[in-house]
Amino acid sequence: MDFYLGLLQVIGVHSLLGLSAWCVLHTGQVSLAQGGFFAIGAYGAGMLTTMFGWPLGWALLVAALLAGAVAVAVGFPALRVKGLMLVVATTAFAEIVRLVFFNLSWKVKTPQGLIGPDGGLGFGGIRYFQANAWSSVQVLLLIWGLVALVMLLLWSLDRTRIGTLWRAVGEDEVAAQSAGINLTAAKVSAFGIGGAIAGLAGGLFSHNTTHIEHGNFTILLATFAIAYPILGGLKSLAGTLVAVVFIQGVLVEGLRFLGDWRSLLFGALILLVMLVRPGGVLGAPLRWPSFKRHAAASTTDLMISAERTRHA
Amino acid sequence: MLELRHVSRHFGGVKAVDGLDMQVRQGEILGLIGPNGSGKSTTVNLISGLYTPSGGSVMFQGEDISALPTHLRAQRGIARTFQNIRLFSQLSVWQNLWAARVERSSGWDGFKARWLAGSNQGREQAEQILEFSGLQGKRDVLAGNLAFGEQRRLELARAAVSGAPLLLLDEPAAGMNASEIEDLDQRIRALRDQGRTVVLIEHHMELVMGVCDRVVVLNFGRKIAEGAPQEVQNDPQVRAAYLGADDNDELMNAALAA
Amino acid sequence: MTWIDLLDLVQSVFDGVMFGTTYALIGIGFTLIFGVMHKINLSYAAASIGAAYLSLLVVQIAPTPLVYLSAALLGGVLGALVYLVCFRFLPLNQPLATLMSTVGMLLLLEEAIVHATAGMPQNYPSLFAGVVFDVGPFMVRGDLLFVFGLGCAAMVGLKLMLEKTRLGLATRAVAQQSVAARLCGMSVSTTNATTFIIAGFLGGTAGAMTGAAIGVLSPLLTLPMTIKGLVVTVIGGLGSIPGAIIAGLVVGGVENLFQFLRGVSERDIYVMLMLFAFLVFRPGGLFAAPGGRD
Repeated sequence: MDFYLGLLQVIGVHSLLGLSAWCVLHTGQVSLAQGGFFAIGAYGAGMLTTMFGWPLGWALLVAALLAGAVAVAVGFPALRVKGLMLVVATTAFAEIVRLVFFNLSWKVKTPQGLIGPDGGLGFGGIRYFQANAWSSVQVLLLIWGLVALVMLLLWSLDRTRIGTLWRAVGEDEVAAQSAGINLTAAKVSAFGIGGAIAGLAGGLFSHNTTHIEHGNFTILLATFAIAYPILGGLKSLAGTLVAVVFIQGVLVEGLRFLGDWRSLLFGALILLVMLVRPGGVLGAPLRWPSFKRHAAASTTDLMISAERTRHA
Repeated sequence: MLELRHVSRHFGGVKAVDGLDMQVRQGEILGLIGPNGSGKSTTVNLISGLYTPSGGSVMFQGEDISALPTHLRAQRGIARTFQNIRLFSQLSVWQNLWAARVERSSGWDGFKARWLAGSNQGREQAEQILEFSGLQGKRDVLAGNLAFGEQRRLELARAAVSGAPLLLLDEPAAGMNASEIEDLDQRIRALRDQGRTVVLIEHHMELVMGVCDRVVVLNFGRKIAEGAPQEVQNDPQVRAAYLGADDNDELMNAALAA
Repeated sequence: MTWIDLLDLVQSVFDGVMFGTTYALIGIGFTLIFGVMHKINLSYAAASIGAAYLSLLVVQIAPTPLVYLSAALLGGVLGALVYLVCFRFLPLNQPLATLMSTVGMLLLLEEAIVHATAGMPQNYPSLFAGVVFDVGPFMVRGDLLFVFGLGCAAMVGLKLMLEKTRLGLATRAVAQQSVAARLCGMSVSTTNATTFIIAGFLGGTAGAMTGAAIGVLSPLLTLPMTIKGLVVTVIGGLGSIPGAIIAGLVVGGVENLFQFLRGVSERDIYVMLMLFAFLVFRPGGLFAAPGGRD
């Protein structure tokens, strides 16, 4: 029973991570920085509760806001570039964060002894839940309560002008700015909100696992983060959740019996999903991969796209 | 209303626009024509802000907007359409219009209206434009699923919904059949009747000669002729530009006098 | 800093620059693929290291130069495989899909390596390992010099191929204007596949050179190589081969510079910050490709 509770907790945390990436992907940017904000939230919230005795609610809030603020600060320079360069910029940022925490050593004296992050050895003793006698079920409810809250937030954002503006920017930046939309504001806001959500996820993560270290926050985590909304289909929030359940539930845990082989299968599975459903699992109607040569487009299409590139 | 003062734009060694002086008067429909590669699209991009001038300045309503970013120019009142349709294809017709509806108020109210407004706000303007473009029945259809002619109309509507006093139309007739062009002609006139100013880039001579008050002709990034459509049509330099040094009188007359 | 320290610093940077040819090769590979397909192949570095691992299969029976050659050839094979699986059948208008498919491939390759070797580092043969030239107060390591030399040879070979052969012409044509290339009768998918194969040759060489310079191959190399390769590609300018070359050497040198000044664990922070600075002040990179858009 505990095993399943634990699994649901992990799924919950990863859902938040996926939702944070959903935000950013909506404006058409591929960001591998979610892992970095996750780390900031994890270390931040952990330090606030263990080293300074803050209550969890405040710690989570401040950690999320901090992550969001860093996201906005990083977003301004980073979002001036697009495509591959943004991928690299966000990767670089995430690596910087990871390395900073790798080198961070700061302990304070508490009644429980010296507590604090210890460089490469990580940050242990984040025992807020244990110290305050939270049961597994209560932790689970907290996590999923927050997931529901965030989903509600994103859903309502999507219905207001922000959501439409985000999507317009994601579709066609030239048309968007020519229609009066402030690109930077749109992109940075998505980035910032995504960062805050990732920070929240991180805070929950560090308290759930009680011990974190830099190796938890690699680029791989960031790829998981964007994999969820991409595999789930960017149109729906629910798709992201489905993807998380699928990946974490089925792959990571469900294929345990395959032992080491499941990591091998993970990569293969992603490939398979992309071949069969490039729009994501809940993205577009099911299509069979076209194994015939991509038929040469009609001459008109070629002419039109030739025109387009000529005038570009 | 709009003035280009000795505007130039270089790309590496190529002078796409070279010392162009041009005025657009309030309430007129100005045609901008010229052979391919003459700098028409570059000029429109210079006006709408996608390019900044390498030299000279762009004045709009008395203000120098040469360094102003595109979205701010759009908010000040310069709207445009694109030669290759650039709609938000995954958004509905309604959402396309709503996204472009420019909120002029500033401060906290402006912020709320621009970013946080629910889909019920700003309805009026968008509804009007919806009617104007004849797309009421297709409110919730994804823009990508519209027929070509409807997409063109939506592009025009999206430019018009912001209430912009200056509209730049970049080859709006490309790919249209005769009746659609007729329709376009009417719409452009309707926009002018609303008090707007239109700059029309086109290759379709019939449309240009029919609807424009004045025409400016570009070649190699420079203005080679300017005036009423008839004058320009008969200008020998214009003929030479379009048809090359070897003119064939019959062909020319047929092509330009249509 | 004492005089000796300064000498050590210069030595360190110099060694780094020579090692930087491996980064340059990876950067070129990324940039080549980006140039023709306008997509990123995140699995490239993993495939390169994978090719080097595969070349270990012949290490018992072949002399070292042949091992390197087989790494290059196997790199080409892997390149074709990656093209087939990750790009050929995916719709071109969904860039996220190809991104994810290359991520999937990256994970697959890395795990395959871990499985095949039980995660243990494998020794990789190097040439001229014990040879050292003394040039004044500096030492030039023979094995690094060889790595540098081979890297340069690969780049020259690439340049010749791109400029003198029909295939190279096709690659450049497709990169600049794929529609027109198609109208001229060039098969875009064949050109793309061939580009992947060529990039694979370069990658396999880079993988072999990395193994030769460090002396061992380990799956832990793949992620840092990927990141460094991307950094090099971006600093050099997307789509620019000369840019990737120079950037590769610069990153190699700078990396060792920071390592000397601040130690191994902080070294990468500064490399990344350097990348950030580039992105802010010179997003086009050192030489942006003409008409390069993403």
